[in-house]
Amino acid sequence: MAKALVLDDRDNVANLIGPGSRGELVTCDGPGQRNERLELREDIPPNHKCARRNIRRGEPVIKYGLCIGKAVCDIPAGAHVHVHNVESNRGRGDLMTKAPAGEPT
Amino acid sequence: MRDYFYGYVRSDGQVGIRNHVLVLSGTLYANSLCERVAACCDNCIPIVHPLGRCQIAPDLAQTFRTLVGHGLNPNAGAVIVVDHFKEAGCTADEIAHRIARSGKPVEVVNIRREGGAVAATARAMRLAVELNRRITGQQREKVPVSKLIFGINCGTSDVTSGLSSNRCVGWVSDRIIERGGRSIVAETTEMMGGEDIIRAKCKSPAIAEKILGMIERNEKRILAFGVDLRGSQPTGDNIEGGLSTIEEKALGAIQKWGSKPIVGAVGYAEPIGPESGVWVMDTPGHGGESITGIAAAGAHVMAFSTGGGHTINHPLMITMRVTGNRDSWRLMQDTMEVDVSDMFDGASLEQAGERLYNEILEICDGKVTKAEALREWNAFAITRCGPSV
Repeated sequence: MAKALVLDDRDNVANLIGPGSRGELVTCDGPGQRNERLELREDIPPNHKCARRNIRRGEPVIKYGLCIGKAVCDIPAGAHVHVHNVESNRGRGDLMTKAPAGEPT
Repeated sequence: MRDYFYGYVRSDGQVGIRNHVLVLSGTLYANSLCERVAACCDNCIPIVHPLGRCQIAPDLAQTFRTLVGHGLNPNAGAVIVVDHFKEAGCTADEIAHRIARSGKPVEVVNIRREGGAVAATARAMRLAVELNRRITGQQREKVPVSKLIFGINCGTSDVTSGLSSNRCVGWVSDRIIERGGRSIVAETTEMMGGEDIIRAKCKSPAIAEKILGMIERNEKRILAFGVDLRGSQPTGDNIEGGLSTIEEKALGAIQKWGSKPIVGAVGYAEPIGPESGVWVMDTPGHGGESITGIAAAGAHVMAFSTGGGHTINHPLMITMRVTGNRDSWRLMQDTMEVDVSDMFDGASLEQAGERLYNEILEICDGKVTKAEALREWNAFAITRCGPSV
């Protein structure tokens, strides 16, 4: 069975230890959780993140108990969480240039 | 765990863990000569770079400060500074004058004054022979860990970094500081998203304000380019390793700062103060530029934490690498010293941390790193604040 780490109780993602495959049951352990079971919805590359629960579009993604970005679409529990469905809130010069003239950035 | 190592006690009270002749290039046009001399003469370390000419004043001052800082680094027992003509504000004479205040032997070779590249090479080689004879009679002495300045950095990070190797580096930093030593952390870009943690670690609100100001200024410079930072930070290899955003990378990176208080913050390549604790330096996330700033502040040894595996090595500040990624250890073992991937199989932070601490102290005693054995000198890079002019 694949293993994952949950670093803080507030986290809505878990970190896989090694790879995970679709349908596989994962045991989540760590300071944030003990023996939580999670079914993976898809194959996940080694050490990447999966959603611990459903995360709605626009909701913060939480790891280490802190915000590491926001969900750009709804992410179901057990799904791979990475650059295809999370984006950073920092260093986003691209968003500043897209802001309409006169809008505070 | 021991609280001493064997080092070279310098006349200014600093302690070196190596005793090299540094062949320091003042401008890029002296680089070849420095490399030629260092290739021919034993125990010589070349420091070469593309700067020192046609730089706007703040940049030239930063180059000057970085070069002087390397001359002052106690791992250099003697220094030869080389330039080809003169660039007021960063001449070999000016650099050597500042280094000489430390009391260590310093010589200048100006290529024009010597009558060209061949004559200047001959003079620099003769100086290298003489200086080597002069400094290598010195013996190592037993000195306390309180004398140690511990450099901390990470690169080619992946998810394992924040979960294992960075935590080990932080654990070692705590042990060094408990014994009266100092640590230097940096990489301002990789502080974005970690502000709350950093603020809580600072010894005073004034230090916190200074660091948060550094982070804000750095982010504004990035935003001014009008692009998404992703791909640059996190880098492509970070993303492949599972890090999705700069905030996630930052929260992993800060694990290597340990649990001791932040006692001060300095600008790029500036010297740190005498107080034991964690010192924060304002540098880019770029590994070579970041570790060069830390070396200029006098750090003796650096623990470089890496997930994907790294070949980074500073020429003068002895750089050792640690990973928590088992595949990287298998693939990149030629340039890494410590494997802590057993933390994912139940090894405790203390067990892995002690392994790293012991290796670092042995390296301080003189045990060479793998990169030293390979003469890898790939990470001297001075950061810039403006364009060439």
